[in-house]
Amino acid sequence: MPPETKERLVFAVPNKGRMRDPALRLLESAGIKWLGEERAYLSKTTDPEIDILSVRAADIPVYVYYGIADLGITGRDIVAETGLEVYELADLGFGCCDLVVAVSKDSGIRSPSEIPHGSKIATEFPNVAKAYFDEIGIQVETITLKGAVEIAPRLGLAIAIVDISSTGATLEKNRLSAIGKVMSSSARLICNKISYKTKYDKVEAITNKLKGLSP
Amino acid sequence: MLASKAKDEGRLCYITNCIRYLESKNLSLREYWQAGAELIGGERISADAEAVALALEMLDSVGIRASVDLGSMGVIRRLMERYRIRDYKKLTRAIASKSIDDLRKLTTDSDALETFTLLMTKRGGADLIGEISKAAGCLEEEHEYFKSLYRALEAYGCASRVFVDLSTIREMAYYNGLVFEIFTPGMGLPIGGGGRYDAMMKDFGIDTAATGFALSIDLCLKALGGGDWGKNNETVRVYYKDGYREKAISLVRVLRGKGECCTLDAYRGEGRGILVGEKTIVLESGEEYAP
Repeated sequence: MPPETKERLVFAVPNKGRMRDPALRLLESAGIKWLGEERAYLSKTTDPEIDILSVRAADIPVYVYYGIADLGITGRDIVAETGLEVYELADLGFGCCDLVVAVSKDSGIRSPSEIPHGSKIATEFPNVAKAYFDEIGIQVETITLKGAVEIAPRLGLAIAIVDISSTGATLEKNRLSAIGKVMSSSARLICNKISYKTKYDKVEAITNKLKGLSP
Repeated sequence: MLASKAKDEGRLCYITNCIRYLESKNLSLREYWQAGAELIGGERISADAEAVALALEMLDSVGIRASVDLGSMGVIRRLMERYRIRDYKKLTRAIASKSIDDLRKLTTDSDALETFTLLMTKRGGADLIGEISKAAGCLEEEHEYFKSLYRALEAYGCASRVFVDLSTIREMAYYNGLVFEIFTPGMGLPIGGGGRYDAMMKDFGIDTAATGFALSIDLCLKALGGGDWGKNNETVRVYYKDGYREKAISLVRVLRGKGECCTLDAYRGEGRGILVGEKTIVLESGEEYAP
């Protein structure tokens, strides 16, 4: 079997947001209880071989890709946006949402294919949005925002947005309608490609444990 | 470029700076250092084993204990035909990220899902190809190839450091058979990789097989502990007086043979280095020098 190193294993989890608590609960169910203090970046766990790195969910694929963290929990949408090559070892079944195309209710646009060429699209996911519109053959200009994307159509910044939606309540509140689904997302267990090889037994054991649990 | 110089069977190597095209928004380096070796022609199994073994030996020689994961573009293409999956790009992306979800978007055939799940989740030796071959009802030839390859790698003494993981995919479209990635613990990225690229040789007007690999010099230096590597190897400056050039050349050859980095030039009053004349002296101290 592959060589097993006795090095520690670093597990990256979101430091805030909707995925943090379920991620920590899931790890605790697998016998990996977080022993850190709030706002500590690197913390010990009840498993002496595993440390937890708490960083932004959007940065987790970066830490995992470069091998700073061996494993990580973050959204499928975030992994797709970074485009970084990491292994996706399991769908953890929480943090479910859709990445959708939405427009103002009074725009008269009923499907993404009706969006005119050259339109501006506001999003926190410019790479995923660009790839989606390229695939359906519509040339758009993506405008990257870091939050409050829903307000962009009303202010005239963009004709449509590409954003996550889990219940549709935020879209409704901003008088927006979802007219197309770009992708479905949920929390994923991701792994650095080299850690998968050099820490194979440990990574496999954790993956198998997490696959059978719910947060 | 190297391939165009090959006639029949050739063993070529290089250490050079490479340039790649990247879009301006991409923040990766456009210029990087690489060492590589190519084996043009030769028998397939022997050549593939030699390439893998040479890569590991090169790394051993500089103190990097590495391992290799093998993949096979031939196996992937054969299974695509077997299960009538058409989107090569999406399939290889799903396999490379071990994403069963992405795989499910490409096929609903339960046999295909079972075979590809096996391929994406298991890691082992030549037996793994046998297991996949059995599940798929094809790939007998590929299984025989991997068994022979492992026997050759055993003869090179490196089989215990070589694993089959068919999620090993190389981006470049010219690979058509064995592909491999080289890695070492503590480095988050592969430090090298390679594979077989038979079809590409036709573009150079040579209808022959080819295999090869490249190592990232930058990542190898990092694996060796960063920027300190080689710092102690200070250059020895050797100068000669009129009429003593040949005597100085002899000295430089002795020093270089011992691994010293030397320069040689006519003496123009420099204050540091070694001066060869009737006597050979250290310029800083004036004392006689003996290598």
